[in-house]
Amino acid sequence: MKTSAKIYTALIMLFLFAPIAILLIFSFNAAKSLSVFSGFSLYWYRELFRDAETLGAVRNTLVLALSAAVLSTAMGTAAAVGIFRLRSKVLRAAYDTVTNIPMINPDIITGISLMLMFVFVGRLFGAATSLNFWTMLIAHITFCLPYVILQVLPKLQQMDASLPEAAMDLGCTPFRAFLKVEIPEIMPGIVTGLIMAFTLSLDDFVISYFTAGNGFQTLPIRIYNMTKKTVTPKMYALSTIIFFTILALLIMTNLIDTGPGVEKQEKKERSAASKRRTKLAFGIGAVLAVGMAAVLFLGAPKKPVLNVYNWGEYISDGSEDSFDVLQGFEDWYLANYGHEVEVNYTTFASNEDMYAKLSSGAVSYDVIVPSDYMIARMREEGMLLPLDFDNIPNYQYIGESFKNLYYDPDNLYSVPYTYNFTGIIYDANRVDEADTGDWDLLWNPKYAGQILQFNNSRDAFGTAQYKLGLDVNSDDPADWQAALAALKEQQPLVKSYVMDEVYNMMESGEAAVCTYYAGDYFIMADAQAPGVELSFYAPERTNYFVDAFCIPTCCQNKELAEAFINYMLEYEPAVANAEYICYGCPNRLVYEDGAYAEDMGEEAMEILYPNLDDFGEKYEQFAFRNLSPAMLGTINTLWEELKIN
Amino acid sequence: MKEKNGLRLARRLALGPYGLWAMLFILVPLLFVAYYAFTDNDFAFTTDNIARFFTATSVSDGVVTHTYLLIFWRSLKLAVISTVICLLMGYPIAYILSRSPLRTQKILITLIMIPMWMNFLIRTYAWMTILQDTGILNSFLRLLSLRPVHIIGTEGAVVIGMVYDYFPYMILPIYSVMAKMDVRLEEAARDLGCNSFGVLRRVIFPLSLPGVISGVTMVLIPSISTFYISQKLGNGKFYLIGDAIEGQYVANNLHFAAAIAFILMVILLIGMALMQRYANSRAAA
Repeated sequence: MKTSAKIYTALIMLFLFAPIAILLIFSFNAAKSLSVFSGFSLYWYRELFRDAETLGAVRNTLVLALSAAVLSTAMGTAAAVGIFRLRSKVLRAAYDTVTNIPMINPDIITGISLMLMFVFVGRLFGAATSLNFWTMLIAHITFCLPYVILQVLPKLQQMDASLPEAAMDLGCTPFRAFLKVEIPEIMPGIVTGLIMAFTLSLDDFVISYFTAGNGFQTLPIRIYNMTKKTVTPKMYALSTIIFFTILALLIMTNLIDTGPGVEKQEKKERSAASKRRTKLAFGIGAVLAVGMAAVLFLGAPKKPVLNVYNWGEYISDGSEDSFDVLQGFEDWYLANYGHEVEVNYTTFASNEDMYAKLSSGAVSYDVIVPSDYMIARMREEGMLLPLDFDNIPNYQYIGESFKNLYYDPDNLYSVPYTYNFTGIIYDANRVDEADTGDWDLLWNPKYAGQILQFNNSRDAFGTAQYKLGLDVNSDDPADWQAALAALKEQQPLVKSYVMDEVYNMMESGEAAVCTYYAGDYFIMADAQAPGVELSFYAPERTNYFVDAFCIPTCCQNKELAEAFINYMLEYEPAVANAEYICYGCPNRLVYEDGAYAEDMGEEAMEILYPNLDDFGEKYEQFAFRNLSPAMLGTINTLWEELKIN
Repeated sequence: MKEKNGLRLARRLALGPYGLWAMLFILVPLLFVAYYAFTDNDFAFTTDNIARFFTATSVSDGVVTHTYLLIFWRSLKLAVISTVICLLMGYPIAYILSRSPLRTQKILITLIMIPMWMNFLIRTYAWMTILQDTGILNSFLRLLSLRPVHIIGTEGAVVIGMVYDYFPYMILPIYSVMAKMDVRLEEAARDLGCNSFGVLRRVIFPLSLPGVISGVTMVLIPSISTFYISQKLGNGKFYLIGDAIEGQYVANNLHFAAAIAFILMVILLIGMALMQRYANSRAAA
């Protein structure tokens, strides 16, 4: 290689591996930040191995990728053999075109098209859920197939056509000729196809996002759903492990392949190696098939399953030395009811995301945790079941301020889980104390280019409406136009429209002012970089919200669901959740508890529980309510208008 | 001869499962996209969704723009820029690879593929850490007492994300075509008086065209429809066609989401057909 070529190759490798290096380094970060390195630690590796949900997602991802790769390789190879021998030109062209479709269709279209069909067919047959592991598997096989076919076909074309015929003339049966002569010839194509299918399936997010169903969550989806809270270095630790595993595997296969690497002998060796590889591939294939069958059939749980659908990072899950609430429930249930249950826990990224999945009939859950305005909507649309409070005696601990709120005036459908409000977080080292106090800080030109705004329409419009003194639930389009004008006016000052990115940007000092939920301020303040001093206030008019447990009409086991809700109100899990999430807790066992107050600290208690007596009043005045579908459509259009500027 | 007929039958049968599968899970779902695109919430026929894509306007500072046409134009622009950069960066590396010793080829190809095995969302996240104003890149520049650069939240950052994520898809097909190319052709051209540029223009490039076409397809298509990269690296300021589809899906507006998807699909299919035709005509010449 020439020197210039070497330098160029090195530069390309630098580009390819720079982000990987970042992953490796930050996986050893002692703090929770992904942008401020504060010391070496193996903490996040320990965390990773304790995180049953993430490990489950890894297992799901592998099972899905292996199944999809093996099945699409088998079907794709057979298809390639068939297509290769097609005599009819028309038929051949037709197959080529169809095979090309998933490749030249963006994956968002492949995902949507399959989702529309599954949901439609599911509805037609009145299935409780139309999306599940099998629909995801179908989707993955479908987008892997063309890649396999396109790897195998050229190998068939390169093969000497007289080879199989010669074998048959020498007395082979056609099947034997195919097995002994053709397969080894096209083996490299099959292996490449298998690897490609596996890789594509492993990394796919978009198609999985649209076709994911009940309780079967892959790693990319789990990561995406962390977008209201934060992506932790745990995920970097996982990526680092994956990186080294792959590296080791590749080095090993390379060593086997090249052996005592003398290039002259290569040709001879290659045929021997290809035979070995054929056997190896068959061996691996067989092991995989058996393993898959074992996982799918033996692994199927026989105990009752409770399907819980919650926000990402919204439960104390045993990470960072917290109490594992889901495990706690399974133990508690066994101790109190005498038999085992299993919690199947899945996460969503937003109320709308959850609603879209549930209302299409794509999924079915036993317990969900929507926010207030979404509860109102689902109640009006008949999507919720009234609760049997005899099964939820712990409801008595819910503070009076959190009862009889507008979304559930008679306390029939919901049990409050958390409450919080939107406030403003700022870096006291850069923001003048005199400029703080109300929403105007987000519009202050002094901080141009350092302000963060919500990247979700309702919350972003809310900030403008509270600032202008408008009703956030107005059904007058003019009010929304006025809010849009304010957001447009703010736009040149805004550094970024964010959700979970807010953590990194505030912790590292990348931005100086943001608006986010009060409880998240404590998480950011814990991880702030040297030189950053975060502070918080809530403007007088702001959004108060409650997230509550509900049982949707698609619930399969209502008593079990109610037992779960009841358990979540017990002292130990309730305190653990409140400390993990850092939002306000409507449970008296928690907010009247001395140990909890001590753990949270004085500042947090003051911010989260300022004066609960007038909570109800403020809530009724300022909280988001459900808007008509027409109004929601208008807001969506206005939001797009803002975002295209 | 009987045996051979049996063989032919077996091959027909081998094609069967795929034929059925392609029909059920490739063709029929596309019909569903069309069906949703041309119906309203009660599944009555309408062309409103399609019309909305072409006619919806928004006013800003007195200037009227076509909302979705603008979004589409932007997505196309960023995708084309990313594809061109991928091609310019990837073509030389594919050539270098194909002319290296076999062992080096193997190692380099492996290295190029490794990032594809790391989760795509996590990779994009890592780029945020690098490109932020207070990020790794700028710390590095400051260390060298150079002026920091502002990249995150610009079109440049979105393009970097797209180039990074789809780069291997450009290299691999071009490399595999070049690896099969006869090196003697180059030598012959040189002997006949071609300079290096002439060899590239008259010999190497035309022969590698099939690889280039599939590389371009494999980069252009995913970058035109991405909705995660623009959210993370564009600071939420670049609303692309993928964001629009996802936004309508989350807003439970399935029919309009399907309409946008349908239009995008038709435009891409026509574009790809034209490109294929161009490639075929070049190959014939």
